[in-house]
Amino acid sequence: MSSDTRSKPFFRLRQPAGRKQRLFSALGIWAIFFGVWVFASSTGMVNELLVPAPQKVFASTYDLFAARGFAGDVLISISRVLGAFAMACLVAVPLGVMMGSFPAVEAIFAPFVSAWRYLPAPSFIPILLMWFGTGEAPKLALLFIGVIFFLITLVMDHTKNVREELVETALTLGARRSTVVMKVIFPAVLPDIVIAMRQMLAMAWTYLVIAEIVASTTGIGAMMMRARRFLKTDEILSGIIVIGALGLLFDLAFAALHRWMFPYLRKTR
Amino acid sequence: MTADSILEIRNVSKSFDIAGGKKLLAVDDISFDVERNSICVLLGPSGCGKSTVLRMMAGLETPTSGAVMIGGHAVDGPGQDRGMVFQAYTSFDWLSVQKNVEFGMKINGVPAAERRERAAHFTELVGLGKFSEAYPSQLSGGMRQRVAIARTLANGPEVLLMDEPFGALDAETRWLMQELMIDVAEKTNTTMVVVTHDLEEAIFLADKIVFLSSHPGRLKEEIVPDFKQGRRIGDKEHVVKLDGYGNLEAHLMRLMREEGRHAA
Repeated sequence: MSSDTRSKPFFRLRQPAGRKQRLFSALGIWAIFFGVWVFASSTGMVNELLVPAPQKVFASTYDLFAARGFAGDVLISISRVLGAFAMACLVAVPLGVMMGSFPAVEAIFAPFVSAWRYLPAPSFIPILLMWFGTGEAPKLALLFIGVIFFLITLVMDHTKNVREELVETALTLGARRSTVVMKVIFPAVLPDIVIAMRQMLAMAWTYLVIAEIVASTTGIGAMMMRARRFLKTDEILSGIIVIGALGLLFDLAFAALHRWMFPYLRKTR
Repeated sequence: MTADSILEIRNVSKSFDIAGGKKLLAVDDISFDVERNSICVLLGPSGCGKSTVLRMMAGLETPTSGAVMIGGHAVDGPGQDRGMVFQAYTSFDWLSVQKNVEFGMKINGVPAAERRERAAHFTELVGLGKFSEAYPSQLSGGMRQRVAIARTLANGPEVLLMDEPFGALDAETRWLMQELMIDVAEKTNTTMVVVTHDLEEAIFLADKIVFLSSHPGRLKEEIVPDFKQGRRIGDKEHVVKLDGYGNLEAHLMRLMREEGRHAA
């Protein structure tokens, strides 16, 4: 703490908020949220059936995991997201880097990719169900379609932003074209690719829930649709909380991965 | 200086396509030689095409007509024999200083042990011995340019091409870097071609100044700074105090001013 004893205003124009203040503010906004929720449900302002009390939601979340095998649904959902996302990355990253490095490759694929980007992935659900039945394939396909075209475009744009001087430096050091792509362009763009993947993983979760709500008997989304049939609003809300928690978890994991992979981006000076 | 030329610029012109299907003539019929082991400075106002000439030497641009010859052969694309240092920082941020300096040798198949040794030597030469394990992002601007210079030299080029290499540095760092280049030139016998618009830098570094006029770039005058009597002097203060320094600076100022008048 600084030795400055003058009291500072709470709202300082464009001055960073202290650690304490940020923690206080973060807890505060959530306390208000749950406060309103508890108040509304305990005073009967809202229908108990439609908006169950938060303590009831947390109790049924525990019950879902402890007694009713919800962990299995969660694992299925996670593996769908990661499986489809990994396949999308395996195609999108090399293709995006090539498109960003070679205008000739961009000229081939860009007209195709950018058209597909404007087709909403969920509009493919009926045809995917007819092609692939109700197994895992249509869900994976929906996630794949939903993610890949955006990811290709993001990776391509980031690759184009690799500075020309880096490419020219490598060329004047005697590098061949393939060496420039592998040893300069790719490592230079990799931190941005990981950020793009982090953004697209969040989108993959969105499509997963759509797929599971529309056509699935397993997974988090399917559990929520079952709960709806039995008017179990507490379980629906549990599903939402779990999806949110998983999204946050994966986001933090990606942030940690980024820090671990790219130690040189940390400024120490 | 002997008349042994390593680079020959022969009637080189370069025009660029601009909007509306027109062509902009950037470099107009320039010819000059760069002697082996010399420091040649390309000087001129902005728009004189000096960077374009340098880029044609590097093989990053192709002359519209004429040719750049190195060792008697026409330049056809970039190559290991002509290393280039840019004004913008070009350190590979994901590699340590040591690995940056090894980069050229690595892609050209120099064995690991030799690579390490040469990299250590050149890292030491540019005064970064203590920082070989640091990442470029941990270094100052001047130190990053040292990395770029060491990386280029370690690759063993015959000619070191530099495009306003110290333009982004503050005054005192620029001065130190200029003295470093005299030291490097003496120790490595590398031919250098330096593009600058800084008169002091030109006079201090040059064995020969090639002055280009602007719009389009034409060769205006080749100037040998006689007052240095063919010596390389690594102390800038010393050079500034020599008889004849002021006269040459005044002469270059006059040339610059004439060009500026055309441009403005």
